[in-house]
Amino acid sequence: MSDHNTQFHDELDSLEQRLLAIIDTAEGMVGRAVESVVTGNIDLANEVIEADNAIDDENFQIHQQWTTLMARYQPMGPDLRRMAVLLHLNITFERMGDQCVNIAKITKLNAGLPSSERICDLITEMSDLVRPMIRTAIEAFVRKDLDEARLLPAMDEPVDRINANMYREAVEVSEDKGLLEWATKMILVSRALERVGDQSVDFAEQTAYLITGDRLAFDEAGLIRSLNDPAG
Amino acid sequence: MTRQTSIKEALTMETDQDQETIVDLGAAPDGPAGGGVIETRRMSVYYGDFKAVADVSLNFASNQITALIGPSGCGKSTVLRSLNRMNDLIATARTEGEVMYHGENIYADDIDPVEVRRTIGMVFQKPNPFPKTIYENIAWGAKVNGFKGSKSDMGDLVQEALESAALWDEVKDKLQESGYSLSGGQQQRLCIARAIATKPDVILMDEPCSALDPIATLRIEELMLELKEAYSIIIVTHNMQQAARVSDKTAFFNVKLNEKGMRTGRLVEFSPTDQLFTSPTEKDTEDYITGRFG
Repeated sequence: MSDHNTQFHDELDSLEQRLLAIIDTAEGMVGRAVESVVTGNIDLANEVIEADNAIDDENFQIHQQWTTLMARYQPMGPDLRRMAVLLHLNITFERMGDQCVNIAKITKLNAGLPSSERICDLITEMSDLVRPMIRTAIEAFVRKDLDEARLLPAMDEPVDRINANMYREAVEVSEDKGLLEWATKMILVSRALERVGDQSVDFAEQTAYLITGDRLAFDEAGLIRSLNDPAG
Repeated sequence: MTRQTSIKEALTMETDQDQETIVDLGAAPDGPAGGGVIETRRMSVYYGDFKAVADVSLNFASNQITALIGPSGCGKSTVLRSLNRMNDLIATARTEGEVMYHGENIYADDIDPVEVRRTIGMVFQKPNPFPKTIYENIAWGAKVNGFKGSKSDMGDLVQEALESAALWDEVKDKLQESGYSLSGGQQQRLCIARAIATKPDVILMDEPCSALDPIATLRIEELMLELKEAYSIIIVTHNMQQAARVSDKTAFFNVKLNEKGMRTGRLVEFSPTDQLFTSPTEKDTEDYITGRFG
């Protein structure tokens, strides 16, 4: 049994490469968006917003190419799963770009307001936690490595913890009205980063589906359960 | 008088005896949907010394559509033709193992193959209406099978068969025209009506849409989904999307070379269709449905 590539598989590989390029761009945007918001760098914020327009265009192009592939080849089996995952990820990473835009807009809204070094450090820490999550999810996807995909929930746990405490940090600075206004917006930044973390876990679960053919959900310890199993 | 023929009676009755009239259409045997109707047990089929297909054990559920797929030469049509002893018509063909129909071996000595083919009907790749009128295409088979009803009973039988095959509205005003006057898709539905008119329990279909255009194909597929309420359907198809659209379960066959270089068909995987086409368990199935074969 040969494992030769057909025209369809060549085109599918090319579609996947375009999507991986989007994911790579989104990962870089998270870093720049967070840098813009903790340093108050409006130019950097504008760059992020501009980069998201490019992601939106590419997202549309990938969707077009995906539809054409589906219509022409009507794939089956693992190819069908791969198509399902690519469509899902195309939407997920378009939304990750939108989260970066949300952060960049807060950079502009917070211009001129006082800031808290502690909250900035926490937001930077969140960024330093979620960006490796995206990279790990990409590697698990490219290598089709289920064990690597299962690392994601544990990586997400500290992100959730910081996000859950962020409103307390805002309360800590509530004596200063200007600082409170700034900190309230930073809760939204924290929330955006928490979403990026969740999207990375979702990416890993999609990879698990691609590998196993089973709809899997991870718990925090990286254990998996099948969503196909009603006893779950 | 109308009555329901039991399966046991159907299998043992003589074809040209003084049978009571059979005009009741669309009746399936008792029992829950999904129960077994035909079971092959380690069935092998030979053409002379050539072993075309080996050791096939399959259980076909009633009131379901089962698809047989696989590359050319994998034995899927041979398996289909063995299910109603159609292979008996080939002088060199020989079947080993058992084909159980509701628990009775259809290859047993006391079973009449003609009656087997009435109970387990067949629709072929190319529409093959008789060179007769549309009406006679339906009526003739019933007469041969001992229909003794009145002319009006026969009229009812023809209408019911054509309605069941979703053809009545298109032909009701031209029943005396030749079956050949119909389009390819209509001719195939006429052949399905003809099969239904002899009151089968199972309908075998050997690539029934391969000679049809996409619209006619869609109509046959819709018809199959309606017919499975009353009949068990087993279909051989080269069109994987068709198998995925219409069937409840799919059997994938492949060709294996033995040490002498002979190509023998074997059953590789038999799974619920949605599983087979998204997460096949066998590598051979995966290679076939993803086009990585060859």
